[in-house]
Amino acid sequence: MNAAAATARRPWVRILLAALAAIVLIVAPLALPAFANQTLVRIGVYAVAVLGLNIVMGYTGQVNLGQIFFVGLGAYVTAYGVNHGWNILLVFVAACAVAGVVGLLVALAAARLGGLAIAMVTIALPIVGVPLAKRLSEFTGGSQGISARFTDAPDWSGLDNDQWQFYIVLVVAAAAFLLARSLVRGKYGRAFAAVRENEAVAASMGISPYRTKVLAFTIASIFGGASGFLYLAAVQYTSPETLSFGHSISLLAAMVIGGAGSIAGSLLGGAYYVFVPQLTNAIDPNLTTVSQGALLLAVLFLLPGGLVSVPRVVRRLTRRTGAGRSTGRRSSAGPVRETSQQTAPAHRPVPDDALEGHEQTERQDGP
Amino acid sequence: MGTFIQLVVDGLATGSIYAALALAIVLVNQATGLINFAQGGMAVLSAYLAYASVQLGLPLILAIIIAIVLSFLFGALVERFLIRRFERGDPDTAVVVTIGLLTLVTGICAVLWGYNNLGFPSLFPLTSVEILGAVVSVRSLATAVTIVVIMVVLQLLFLRTKLGLALRAVADNPASAAFSGLPVGRLLMVGWGLAATLGAIAGVLVAPQLTLTPGMLDTALVYALAAVILGGLTSPIGCVVAASAIGVLENLVAVYVPLIGHDLKIAVPFALIFVILIVRPQGLFGRKVVVRV
Repeated sequence: MNAAAATARRPWVRILLAALAAIVLIVAPLALPAFANQTLVRIGVYAVAVLGLNIVMGYTGQVNLGQIFFVGLGAYVTAYGVNHGWNILLVFVAACAVAGVVGLLVALAAARLGGLAIAMVTIALPIVGVPLAKRLSEFTGGSQGISARFTDAPDWSGLDNDQWQFYIVLVVAAAAFLLARSLVRGKYGRAFAAVRENEAVAASMGISPYRTKVLAFTIASIFGGASGFLYLAAVQYTSPETLSFGHSISLLAAMVIGGAGSIAGSLLGGAYYVFVPQLTNAIDPNLTTVSQGALLLAVLFLLPGGLVSVPRVVRRLTRRTGAGRSTGRRSSAGPVRETSQQTAPAHRPVPDDALEGHEQTERQDGP
Repeated sequence: MGTFIQLVVDGLATGSIYAALALAIVLVNQATGLINFAQGGMAVLSAYLAYASVQLGLPLILAIIIAIVLSFLFGALVERFLIRRFERGDPDTAVVVTIGLLTLVTGICAVLWGYNNLGFPSLFPLTSVEILGAVVSVRSLATAVTIVVIMVVLQLLFLRTKLGLALRAVADNPASAAFSGLPVGRLLMVGWGLAATLGAIAGVLVAPQLTLTPGMLDTALVYALAAVILGGLTSPIGCVVAASAIGVLENLVAVYVPLIGHDLKIAVPFALIFVILIVRPQGLFGRKVVVRV
């Protein structure tokens, strides 16, 4: 198993695996039934929103309860643009830009207060957003909502609508994930992590906590806007219900359950957001909220790294029991693991960092 | 003029509800340094408990007392078994825990009592009296007075009793309090229990007006948080003033500024917050907290 893990970390294996995943993703919609494609499309839509939330919350440590507001904003801008016959690229840019600018303004004010003020201000966004969307009916269609069709498959492609939508979501979501991956591994990612761990230390290293928080929040809003564009591409309709408070909480739950501070966790979060309510709704609609709350608390207690940390936790548990049985096996397995970590530190630093980070703050804050 | 006085009194009544929730939030924040986003949800659960007791045939006042006692116990248990584990850790994780709690409590209410609006009997008569030519409902007046009385009692508890002194000591410095032999854990449970009690009172007072639903206090929680930001987390009095001001202001704006009206009045406190955060980030009454590294 360790040999397999070591092989999996080799660069050419990773490239091969990535290429394989890309081929599967490109071929899959042609083979799958329409319902499966639609489900995958919805996962992609929410994965982008969760990814944005992860940048501000998982990586920068600022609790954001208003991400759904930016998704709704992006969706409304998209609907407005499409219905006024704008070029579709312009619509996409506008959806991201409007959400980004509003996010910037909110963050400029909210980040002024340290600590939990961002959470306290952003909780108001969906609660103000719903009546606002109802009021601005000339843009939003009021309570009835607004629909816009722009993702019917063109004739030359020979595709069905659901396949065409899949490719649109795939392109945008893949771009978003690659961008986010580069972002959190580069200079800004390190700034985010520094601010999350200790603002005073970050400031002493020349990183302005205020600016970093505003930047992270703005980027999260832009991802929210992009997710809103995709939402409209997939659902072709939006109403004030899209940006309700409950959905905002669900998005946050999805991020934590998928894995805070993890790119792959965002994808799992998107899957959670789509699958679990479908499942509980099928059993009993009244159970949706209670199961979500119980799951969220269970994950926080038992699996602070989220679903994405399951393989790591399993590996740790198996290694511990293995060590109990025979010390010889551990001594041979140990160095292999260490060297592979030393040679390839950049490959999987993120989830490990997140876990250690929380422990560190606990120690520092202790009396 | 009559409408104006009526609006002000009604505003003070709703403002006092926000104030009770805001005080509960400040109480928890002082004790454990985190914001309890489940405060509103727990208050709704208390109101449902009172409702269930009334359904069992108990008189309303007894039902409310039962709900308050149960809420105290629930708050204390939540602190002991849920929050304790995250208290000294990352505050952001603890906030997510309270959001999980909010979802769980709302979900439990929904499973037990459903999403339909339930009528809740009012503790006060639904008549109105005339003050300075304005018709003012007895319920609004009595709600405001009740909350004021409870705040005075709470203030006496904190400033004049040994328990209050111990609670303040734990809030100020848990480590030193423990060294002086105070049972820090139990006092934190009492703090959370008191906060839940405050929420319960707010819940049963506002339930007749809003009618019971699992999400009844979501909006009130947002108002209370706005009051907490405006008043400053370190200042209970500031929060009460800010909450009352928000209650009055939103009522006046809803009627006198047609552009905003009743549907958008919730935006008022947040517009205010934006201005104040830019000009005075520590809140109107709060102190600037300087953290030494």
